Amino acid sequence: MNALAEQFADQNVGSIFLYTHEAHPGEIYPHLTSMTQKLNHAQALRDILNVTRPILVDSLDGACHRAYGTMPNMTWIFNRAGMPIYKSNWTGTKSVENAIQYFLDVSVRRKNQERLAPFQVERLDYRTQDADAFEAGLARNGPKAVREYATAFED
Amino acid sequence: MEDLTTRYNYDEFTPEKVFHWLSFAESPALGEPAPDFPLWHLDGTETNLSQIWKAHTYTIVEFGSFT
Repeated sequence: MNALAEQFADQNVGSIFLYTHEAHPGEIYPHLTSMTQKLNHAQALRDILNVTRPILVDSLDGACHRAYGTMPNMTWIFNRAGMPIYKSNWTGTKSVENAIQYFLDVSVRRKNQERLAPFQVERLDYRTQDADAFEAGLARNGPKAVREYATAFED
Repeated sequence: MEDLTTRYNYDEFTPEKVFHWLSFAESPALGEPAPDFPLWHLDGTETNLSQIWKAHTYTIVEFGSFT
């Protein structure tokens, strides 16, 4: 997603990472109890995961995250008028890239005075599943996070 | 009963504490005005989501954490 942000930055496409809460709290990165801790976690995330996009932090009670569906890693695209024009319950880089390319083309069509009417579409997209990276993330948070994830999904 | 902030920042990943939060199907509709919320830069200064989306023709917002 960092590379995608750089790819479209010169086409007036902004990109941010919004830090929410620890989906898998562990001993090293536990559940959040203060705004100071939340800001510290977000700074650590930026440094450890090399997030080059601007990082913003939600309120401690997750007001924004909860209003938008509380999924652990969703992506939304907004237009300048403040309307969501794309939402996905997980983040798939190719899906986001495809959507942005489409919307940039819409801007060109508008500039060419093509008459456009919005409509809604549903589509099943596919994201890369990186189990090793996910497990490494759990381990980074601490053994408790690893243990609880395994327990939550055992038969 | 724990308060909202404590429940949102659950202390352990269990189906009972986590799954009821997942409400994407009830999230804001496409093409309608989106709800605005205060957000914070890493230095602690406050902004809001609307300031972010007003800054560019399109703005990608990825929600997430360490995991």
